[in-house]
Amino acid sequence: MKREHQQQSSNSSTVTGSASAAMGSVSVSGKNKMWQEEKERSLQPDAGVDELLAVLGYKVKTSDMADVAQKLEQLEMAMGTVQETEIISHLSSDTVHFNPSDLSTWVQSMLSEINPLPNSDLISSSSSQHIDDPVTVLATQSCSFQDLGSDDLRVIPGGAICAPEREKKRLKPSSPTQSSSALTRPVILVDSQENGIRLVHTLLACAEAIQQENFQLAGTLVKQVGLLAISQAGAMRKVATHFAEALARRIYRFYPEDTLDSSSISELLELHFYETCPYLKFAHFTANQAILEAFQGESHVHVIDFSMKQGIQWPALIQALALRPGGPPTFRLTAIGPPQPDNTDTLQQVGCRLAHLAETVHIEFEYRSFVANSLADINAEMLNLRSGEAVAVNSVFELHRLLARPGAIERVLNSIRRMKPKIVTIVEQEANHNGSVFLDRFTESLHYYSTLFDSLEGGGGGGGSTSEDQMMSEVYLGKQICNVVACEGLERVERHETLSQWRIRMGSAGFNPVHLGSNAFKQASMLLSLFGGVAGYRVEENQGCLMLGWHTRPLIATSAWKLGPVADLVEFS
Amino acid sequence: MKRLLNLEEEGEDHHHQKMMMMMKKQRSILSKTEFSNLNEDMLFEILKHVDAPTLAKASCVNKKWQKTSNDERLWEIICTRHWVNIGCPEAQVRSVVLAFGGFRLLHSLYLRPVLKATALSQNQSSTIPTKWGKDEVHLSLSLLSIRYYEMMDCNYKRRQK
Repeated sequence: MKREHQQQSSNSSTVTGSASAAMGSVSVSGKNKMWQEEKERSLQPDAGVDELLAVLGYKVKTSDMADVAQKLEQLEMAMGTVQETEIISHLSSDTVHFNPSDLSTWVQSMLSEINPLPNSDLISSSSSQHIDDPVTVLATQSCSFQDLGSDDLRVIPGGAICAPEREKKRLKPSSPTQSSSALTRPVILVDSQENGIRLVHTLLACAEAIQQENFQLAGTLVKQVGLLAISQAGAMRKVATHFAEALARRIYRFYPEDTLDSSSISELLELHFYETCPYLKFAHFTANQAILEAFQGESHVHVIDFSMKQGIQWPALIQALALRPGGPPTFRLTAIGPPQPDNTDTLQQVGCRLAHLAETVHIEFEYRSFVANSLADINAEMLNLRSGEAVAVNSVFELHRLLARPGAIERVLNSIRRMKPKIVTIVEQEANHNGSVFLDRFTESLHYYSTLFDSLEGGGGGGGSTSEDQMMSEVYLGKQICNVVACEGLERVERHETLSQWRIRMGSAGFNPVHLGSNAFKQASMLLSLFGGVAGYRVEENQGCLMLGWHTRPLIATSAWKLGPVADLVEFS
Repeated sequence: MKRLLNLEEEGEDHHHQKMMMMMKKQRSILSKTEFSNLNEDMLFEILKHVDAPTLAKASCVNKKWQKTSNDERLWEIICTRHWVNIGCPEAQVRSVVLAFGGFRLLHSLYLRPVLKATALSQNQSSTIPTKWGKDEVHLSLSLLSIRYYEMMDCNYKRRQK
């Protein structure tokens, strides 16, 4: 019905507009059905509007499709080769599009703006050809489009017009010289899946080129990735974009600056990440449960936290201690954190808030904070440990940073031993991003972060996160990706290792595993059910440790440790 | 009167029956007075026996009913009625929950969603189960405390400045 209406309207407009084109002599009264009398249709300038595009609001003649498709393809390539930030923002700015149906002409105008290609040749050269040649038809169609009344051909459409076009279809480019095929309906392939595979292959090829130090090839490939990424939608697109950026940084040696500012920014981003997906919550809840169980029966407890950030792990523990059967213990908390920019003591502020919270539930609370550039600078003596108190050491996504400097992790594990903790809780990413071969690291991280981004897209927001939260979480993860792919040496701090690797490390440092009980498992499962649990998050138990994953892929792992016998320990000074 | 009938339909629970008896008594005493002019204490007594959705609906009747229905003690009854003994004395629980925002908040923000979600994920219907386990309760309490902490941030910063 719509199509017919459009047919009618375009029919009528031809009648009113000047038919100066050679086509004007053709009768316009025919209401030929589109799927019959193709040839006649090709002679009529405005019948046979493609129905798929018509649904989107674009009036593109079926016979024009090939040409429009080719131009869109060219446009896309042109957009890709120009520096991302300049042109895309320019295109997506709030410019008004007056005649969205005039697809062919705006593509033309975009092309001539971005990339002065001799596209106009196509039109001018073919205008002298015979009428029956579909190419001429194309050319004269274009002219007649002009006559149809869209005066301002230079109007640039907003990015919003661009996007749905791409996501819905990828028009298969066919050269206008395939004249006979123009008579049949042109093929519209939805090959975004094919493009997705191509995207992954290109990413891997680029990484391999970097591995072989062929930076020129890598540079070309990374541009290709950029183009292909645009054709994707959702998680794949975001992951590909981040990885492409990271690869580009590595190729062109444009490393991300690790300024002091970045630590406060990353804390802010982490807060948003906290809201959007259950990973951090899972980490906190399972670690707290292990600590609670270890503290059973103790009247003085002391937690040493390597990953204080905003202290959001501790309200739940304080509450649980307050409701402990048998009454609450006295609670001491020592925080160790990195220095902050402009000397604000966020750790102290966090301590004040936690103290206030502890006060409202009548828990005796003591807080101390240490600022250190690296955990390796801290030793047990500084912490003023008292006899009679049970100590717990907690580290959420912090230990892997120590792997950048040789010897650091051993030193830290040693100091932990000297603290004589009742329990050590460690939460780490379940992935090996610390291999010595770049290509392996790249492949691993590609799979890992793809799954992570998938879960961000697919998982429910837990009833509280906004799309802003999601965006910030993606930026947060993007920074990690940048670090894994683009940085090296001391700067590459995101050196994730798998649970099995950590097990070996902890074992050789003299720690024995503590099994996380069924309470932790149940709480974790329940937490996930809040996040649309059936959607995809899974809790797994792995030899006493708990892992949270998306579908079949575990993504983070919580483990708990206690001191083993002193005999089989190698001391590092 | 319609309300009475609804309540009757809702439960074979003897609480409801008890309430019915009280209502009949009330009706006979105050046959000329409107139901909504019910004495506050009487209303409180009645609302002690209703379930959560009813209590929530009761708070929408009028201002007086709202004031009575939002009483923390009523919501404490709603919360603690079904949960298994979580091991610590009532007074302790009460002080913690009230400090972090109250039972009404606890129930609407956390208890109910957690219970619903658990029931759903175990492929049962999404009706709230009648026995609330330790884990559900602990999880809800933890989430409540986290919320208090997060909200404290805004207030605290304001106070500091």
